[in-house]
Amino acid sequence: MSAAAFLKDCESLCVDVHNLRFRRSEMLKWFKQLDKILRGDATRLSSLTDAEIKVPLGGISLVVLLLGVIYGFCVGSFAMIQSAGRAYQQFIASAIKLPMLFFLTLAVTFPSLYVFNALIGTRLSVVSALRLLIAALGVMLAVLASLGPIVVFFGLSTENYPFMILLNVATSTVAGVLGLKFLLQTLDRLVIVQQPKSSDDPDNNANDNPDNSQTSDDKPAEPTAAIEPTGESTTVKAKSVFAVWTTVFALVGAQMSWVLRPLIGCPTLPFEWFRARESNFFIAVARALGNLFS
Amino acid sequence: MKIILLQADSVLRAKSWAVQEGNFIRRLTQLGLLVFVFGITYGAVMGSFGGILGERFWQVIYSAVKVPLLLTATFALSLPSFFVVNTLFGLRSDFLYSIRALLATQAGLTIVLASFAPFTILWYASSANYRGAIVFNTLMFGSASFTAQWLLRRFYEPLVRRDGRHRTLLRAWLAIYAFVGIQMGWVLRPFIGSPDLTPQFFRQGAWGNAYVNLAKIIWSFISG
Repeated sequence: MSAAAFLKDCESLCVDVHNLRFRRSEMLKWFKQLDKILRGDATRLSSLTDAEIKVPLGGISLVVLLLGVIYGFCVGSFAMIQSAGRAYQQFIASAIKLPMLFFLTLAVTFPSLYVFNALIGTRLSVVSALRLLIAALGVMLAVLASLGPIVVFFGLSTENYPFMILLNVATSTVAGVLGLKFLLQTLDRLVIVQQPKSSDDPDNNANDNPDNSQTSDDKPAEPTAAIEPTGESTTVKAKSVFAVWTTVFALVGAQMSWVLRPLIGCPTLPFEWFRARESNFFIAVARALGNLFS
Repeated sequence: MKIILLQADSVLRAKSWAVQEGNFIRRLTQLGLLVFVFGITYGAVMGSFGGILGERFWQVIYSAVKVPLLLTATFALSLPSFFVVNTLFGLRSDFLYSIRALLATQAGLTIVLASFAPFTILWYASSANYRGAIVFNTLMFGSASFTAQWLLRRFYEPLVRRDGRHRTLLRAWLAIYAFVGIQMGWVLRPFIGSPDLTPQFFRQGAWGNAYVNLAKIIWSFISG
């Protein structure tokens, strides 16, 4: 990829950011864009021309931020309710930290995603890779925000802190799995779109199916959903590389949530913006499992 | 009244009336009304354990209100995530049908429950044991839910025929619904109302976590 193309990408990114406007009609438009991603319209094989996912980077980032704040309020509501309204700082802190969690995880894992993409040979530019990741974050946060009411309900009705930890781990896992599935399948589709079109030979198809009345783009039924595996698949090497990357993303996300703690806020401990460094995410979850019934 | 009974009959026979196209809001209201009417019937019977005269009448009222509340609140909490996951799997076009099918199943559940009410009355007339009453009502709810699954499968058949992934999503719905519903049932206690305590809508300071408490009860039962 040439330096000129790279600079052009950066310029378009700056233009995107500069164009962020906060009018209500704009916000609605960006939510509709997220809806487009969720419905799979933005990642259909026919929509992925020029190996680009056509979603507005700034707009979707803002929607991701907003959904993160909403879910952050849901998570922080436990500490506020259980301490009878005194721990409102945790409520605010969670709302700030949750979008931070996702954006920091994105920042930490993005360079390696771009590098792996370049190694596999997909012609994904920096901005395209970023768009792809932001779209995946959009999926994750849409799922998380929809699970928010359930988290609030349990926060309202239980004082069991280990249970709330495990519940949040469960919801984040569901959201993460769906978001990463979306990412991997879109990557698959981007690779397919960039492959030389040798399977579309109209003569070939006509010979195989003489009474087939379809036109020359006789591909197998195009997957229309956001999360739907394509019939063709990428090489084994690409698949294993992406599998490694998603594991890395999951690990980084998990540990990042530990670094940013407290996100839920133990009702018996005083409020702190960040707790001292010790232990790690996995030991903490294991401990929560142990403490669940005590 | 007659119309309600006729509609209830259609739901039980999984007639297409319950889930067909038409005025969506009207269908929702009709199904919601069925849930309400049959829910309060069984709820009222549930709450009559400690008697229905004087102060105990309040327990009858509370329980009557709580049964449709339990079902509706659980439904509402589980709906957003069901919507998002349906959209992600490309099944959004069938979503309105799904809602009708799920609501019709809830209506079916309350109708079956209401039909079990005479059994509950007989149990209450035979035994004054509070724990026994709790177990019996759990059994009634369990049987009604079990029957409702059969109804749900019939309503969902056309969807599954169209796209096999509906089956997976249905299982996910049931898992979320059960997870939220159990906690909701715990939070909305008391449904029967211990005869020794005055009727209250919520027991003071007795919320807590259904799963943890259930595990503790089972553990104490095992370890003696």
